[in-house]
Amino acid sequence: MTTLASAEPYERAATGRKADGVRFVPGQPDMWVLVLFESLVFTTYFTVYVFRRTQSPDLFLQSQAHLNLRVGVFNTLVLLVSSWSVARCVQTAREGSFRTALNNAYLTMLFGFLFLVSKVLEWVTEIEQGFSFTTDEFFSFYYFLTAIHFLHLLIGFVFLGVAVYQIKSPARRSQELVETCATYWHTIDFLWVLIFALLYVMR
Amino acid sequence: MNRRFEKRLLFVWLALSAITLAQLALGSLGERGSLTPNAWVTSSAIVIALIKVRVIIREFMEVRHAPVLLCRLTDLWVVLTGVSLLGFYFVGRFA
Repeated sequence: MTTLASAEPYERAATGRKADGVRFVPGQPDMWVLVLFESLVFTTYFTVYVFRRTQSPDLFLQSQAHLNLRVGVFNTLVLLVSSWSVARCVQTAREGSFRTALNNAYLTMLFGFLFLVSKVLEWVTEIEQGFSFTTDEFFSFYYFLTAIHFLHLLIGFVFLGVAVYQIKSPARRSQELVETCATYWHTIDFLWVLIFALLYVMR
Repeated sequence: MNRRFEKRLLFVWLALSAITLAQLALGSLGERGSLTPNAWVTSSAIVIALIKVRVIIREFMEVRHAPVLLCRLTDLWVVLTGVSLLGFYFVGRFA
């Protein structure tokens, strides 16, 4: 395991490669196995949704019209900011700027929390308007996809907590673990990018 | 932080945000109260989303510097997802 305390070669930060020019896997390889597995599972969900949608296009479109596209865009932008800040966290930790890395990790948490609040408010609004999980097939998919993504985001907070724990103390700093946690967070971000396109934009 | 990297990350984030705002325009086409099926909007939404996903994977997740196997696996997933979504959309709609 690579420790930050051992001052990793700066070349890796500047070029993205280790000093000897060897390409590196960001974070632990096990996390990439999980990411690819999760991504395939979500691809299955998305494919079933798209196919079911083509079987009842009018019903799905009528229900989709009740979603607020601007809220979807806002949520996407919020997660993109969080992804950007966690990427900055990885870079600054790699360079040894731990205070900045910590601030970026907190910023990521803040925007992640903002997404959670926004999502809950959106659900409340939909339910108040009479659109629940059992209203129709579109809303069943809507609540299922957004809820399972929400659950992954909550797990993401555990990973961010691990990253903060790692960065805080010189005794336990591990760049590899910080990268691993960031990899999971980015996965939540790109899965939302697809959910947004499928639930809010597609026709 | 290294200025070159800082600028690159900022540029990537700005580009992703700009594309997201473009999706707002795409999703707003026509009357919101009476949406109609539109293969062009759907295809564009899926392709744009997959481009964003690939940018996030390559830039934010640093896969552009990862071993070739990881690059190929992530690209394979993006292509598989695109083919699957567009394939089932067109088969389901026009078959």
